[in-house]
Amino acid sequence: MEMAESKTNGIVVVGLKGKLDANTAPQLQEKLLAAITGGEKHFAVDCAHLEYISSAGLRTFLLAAKQLKNVNGKLVLYAMKEHIKEVFDLAGFSAAFPIFPAQADALASFKV
Amino acid sequence: MNTQLTVSFKNQLTEIERLGQVMAEFAQRCQWSPQFLFEVNVSLEELLTNVISYGYDDNQEHEIILRLFFADGELTAEIEDDGRPFNPLEAAEPDLSQSIEERSIGGLGIYLVRKFMTDVAYKRHDGKNLLILKKKSVKED
Repeated sequence: MEMAESKTNGIVVVGLKGKLDANTAPQLQEKLLAAITGGEKHFAVDCAHLEYISSAGLRTFLLAAKQLKNVNGKLVLYAMKEHIKEVFDLAGFSAAFPIFPAQADALASFKV
Repeated sequence: MNTQLTVSFKNQLTEIERLGQVMAEFAQRCQWSPQFLFEVNVSLEELLTNVISYGYDDNQEHEIILRLFFADGELTAEIEDDGRPFNPLEAAEPDLSQSIEERSIGGLGIYLVRKFMTDVAYKRHDGKNLLILKKKSVKED
């Protein structure tokens, strides 16, 4: 898996490419938790090039969301492929995570 | 047509990457749809990860055997390990109605396996854990 990170209007945009599995999820977890510890509260995850996710990937998002809840932060996802979305649906994660079709919608969701 | 393969994995999480490669090649031989491959790959990863992460009390290297058999549109996959006796099917199902803060971290993997596979069975024999999974492919016209 490849990860890219950028920041726009106080929102950390994390791009994921490839497979988010038990072997690669710890890298993402480390990145997200370090950013949260560093004071970041707003995250938008670009899933356009995410090809695969297993429960290890879901757990990573869950852990991050729990941490963010404590600081009134938020993590949203966008541009998810259909089979990835299906895993979120099956796991009941679609109700817990805001998922947007495109980056513009995801970023706009942070505006109050 | 029938296609079969036996592969051995070590008890290291880096083997998950090799599992992906092995499954992609097997899928090509069997002409699976991308969706069928995805659901099989996730299921096998979940079970293999369980064994690698929680199956052993020592720090020794162990061998986990995966046997694949695909015939008449049905996959049979067996995972055999010499870890401690463990039946993942006895794991509690996650409570999907719980809010995100209440949600516990465990149980999700085996939940996905049950959703993606037609049938999952567990046996303990000869001091080994044996998981037998079956999945029927949907014929594409």
